[in-house]
Amino acid sequence: MKDYQLAWRNLWRNRRRTLITAASVFFAVFFALVMRSFQLGTYEKMYRDVIESYTGYLQLQHTDYIDESSLDNGFVIDPEIISRIEGDPNVTAVIPKLESFALAASGSRTQGVMVIGMDPEDEMKGLNIINRLVRYRLTPKAVEALKAESLPGRTAKLLDVFVNESFTDEASLISILGIGRTDTSDVLPLFRKHAAFENGYLTSADSGYAVIGNGLSEYLHAGVGDTLVLMGQGYHGTTAAGLYIIKGIVRMPQPEIDNRFVYLTLDDARYLYAAPGMATSAIISVRDTEDDDLVMTRNRLGQITGDGLAIRTWKEMNALLLNQMEADNKSGAIMIGILYLVIAFGVFGTVLMMMAERRREFGMLVSIGMQKGKLAKVISMEMFLVGFLGVAAGVAGSLPIVFLGYARPLRFTGEMAKMYEDYGFDPVMPMLLPDTYYLWQVVIVLLILLIAITFSVRKIFKMNVINAVRA
Amino acid sequence: MKVVEINDVYKTYHDTEVEVKAVNGVTLSFEKGDFAVIVGPSGSGKTTLLNLIGGLDQPTGGEIIVAGHRLSELKPSELIDFRMEHVGFVFQSYNLIPVLTASENVGFILNLQKWPKEKRKARTDEMLASVGLSDRHNSRPSQLSGGQQQRVAVARALAPRPEFILADEPTANLDTKSAETLLDIMEKLNHDEKMTFIFSTHDIRVMKRARRVITLEDGRIVSDVRVNNN
Ligand SMILES: Nc1ncnc2c1ncn2[C@@H]1O[C@H](COP(=O)(O)OP(=O)(O)O)[C@@H](O)[C@H]1O
Ligand SMILES: [Mg+2]
Repeated sequence: MKDYQLAWRNLWRNRRRTLITAASVFFAVFFALVMRSFQLGTYEKMYRDVIESYTGYLQLQHTDYIDESSLDNGFVIDPEIISRIEGDPNVTAVIPKLESFALAASGSRTQGVMVIGMDPEDEMKGLNIINRLVRYRLTPKAVEALKAESLPGRTAKLLDVFVNESFTDEASLISILGIGRTDTSDVLPLFRKHAAFENGYLTSADSGYAVIGNGLSEYLHAGVGDTLVLMGQGYHGTTAAGLYIIKGIVRMPQPEIDNRFVYLTLDDARYLYAAPGMATSAIISVRDTEDDDLVMTRNRLGQITGDGLAIRTWKEMNALLLNQMEADNKSGAIMIGILYLVIAFGVFGTVLMMMAERRREFGMLVSIGMQKGKLAKVISMEMFLVGFLGVAAGVAGSLPIVFLGYARPLRFTGEMAKMYEDYGFDPVMPMLLPDTYYLWQVVIVLLILLIAITFSVRKIFKMNVINAVRA
Repeated sequence: MKVVEINDVYKTYHDTEVEVKAVNGVTLSFEKGDFAVIVGPSGSGKTTLLNLIGGLDQPTGGEIIVAGHRLSELKPSELIDFRMEHVGFVFQSYNLIPVLTASENVGFILNLQKWPKEKRKARTDEMLASVGLSDRHNSRPSQLSGGQQQRVAVARALAPRPEFILADEPTANLDTKSAETLLDIMEKLNHDEKMTFIFSTHDIRVMKRARRVITLEDGRIVSDVRVNNN
């Protein structure tokens, strides 16, 4: 009889307790993993959205721009440097961008906005703002017309909830309005007919046109074809003023961006701000986007840029967003901490009970000549096996869900979706594929186990054999 | 030949407010082949004395020598090995490891002593046969009666051929028939294997079978008589 065989048999002498203990560990690990995956997946999506529609992964900036993002910290674009940056193996595109503040007015309303000037052709090589164009809008008129058609009950009801809501793609239309798989082919044409939104996008040749955020458009009551007045301060204190026709409306990922987003061609922006040939940054699109890749690319590009210019990563540029997510992440970690605390107490209670119940047996074993160390080894094995069973089951159970949630992100419908929309976020909860967070859960459970094992081992070594057999 | 020598041994407990002299100046020795019983009223110190002899406890005074070992000189872990090698224990109850079969229980100490598998199996079979349980090799303790469990415990204690077997009230939880059977077996093993048995009891059935009766009162020996009962 080997030690592990004895441990294995002991494990199953109280099948129910072993299973309950393993199940509680399973539950904790499973729940923590799924929760982490959702949480981290959501952050990841948020980061990606901002990166892909706004900041890019890397930017070339004046060294002072990160601290004071004003036009006065802009720089003159040197085509020589741009083409050398484009020559880097990891760089796919460089998009000069002139960004500054302005006051936007349409009709009687005004709003402070950020004006972004980029060449649309360049921009499309690195960003995906065009995918954010509003394609459908449930205007009151559209809702009325749709109601006159024969729609599935649920969708018809949800139309009222989403009056005036805008949609960028049919997938979100389907999920948010709860259109069933079988109904899709019947219902979608109705939406195309009644709720399609006439929208345009900038071209490089355009002059005097703007694409604006959906939030801004709603606030200003300004739609496609309306006139937008921009006023502000140009380079070195000149007065900036211009008149633009709204050509397109996009839904930007973050409400802070969406409510202030005005996109002009680079030439228009340079003209508005009296900054010919200038940019406040150049977005650098890259192929490999992991942190290590970015740092390496940045180091390489740093050799090209020379004095006065710097390469910034998306993390540096989105410090605020990262901080917010970090804070949110902490609250998530605390929740998981509480969960593990509860589980730890459960496990500890079980161990305590087990040790008390088997006191006589332990006393007998040491009496007849089993060394305490050997006994401790057997008991440790038992506990480790239970914990391992729970962890393994938790990891195994979470994997299909995490992979599914990654491949087909959870999309909300109806009221739940409305809540997200009202805050300006996509009602989507993607999951993050297994990563270091998996490792952490395992480490935490092993730590809990280690504490429980240490406790039991200590108790065995401190056991008074005579009292134990007498008990 | 002396198997156990006890010289002026004391054991005093202080853990209550009053001091209890559980063993109070005992001098005693056991010979190879003894079939001795320690009797006395409850609280007279029988268990304490057996624990001292078996190296489960250390005396507060005096000296115990077993098979040439001065027990007071052994470290705690050496005492455990000492017990494994030299002492067989049979407790009043809860002797067996519940997850092991009868034969695995019997082989447990042989296993601790690292006997090779074949020898271990032969000895286990032999011991199970000698306690009349050849047909219960694969029974778990829970599938055995109280008397059968005690017989397995005796077989286990005896298997590694210890210097002697200590049994603290081994029949206390048994009915008359099982107690008699157990005593028959121990008597036979005492005779056949020349195994030394030291019991404690206040069971008159056990007393009648002993060939030496040591009476304790308040931790002192008040009589030590050899009887010839066959
Ligand atoms: N661990 C202990 N702590 C304190 N007193 C004890 C302890 N063990 C035994 N005693 C006391 O020592 C005396 C002898 O006990 P014991 O040897 O168990 O007697 P017996 O086995 O003859 O009934 C009793 O008075 C008992 O209360
Ligand atoms: Mg007693």
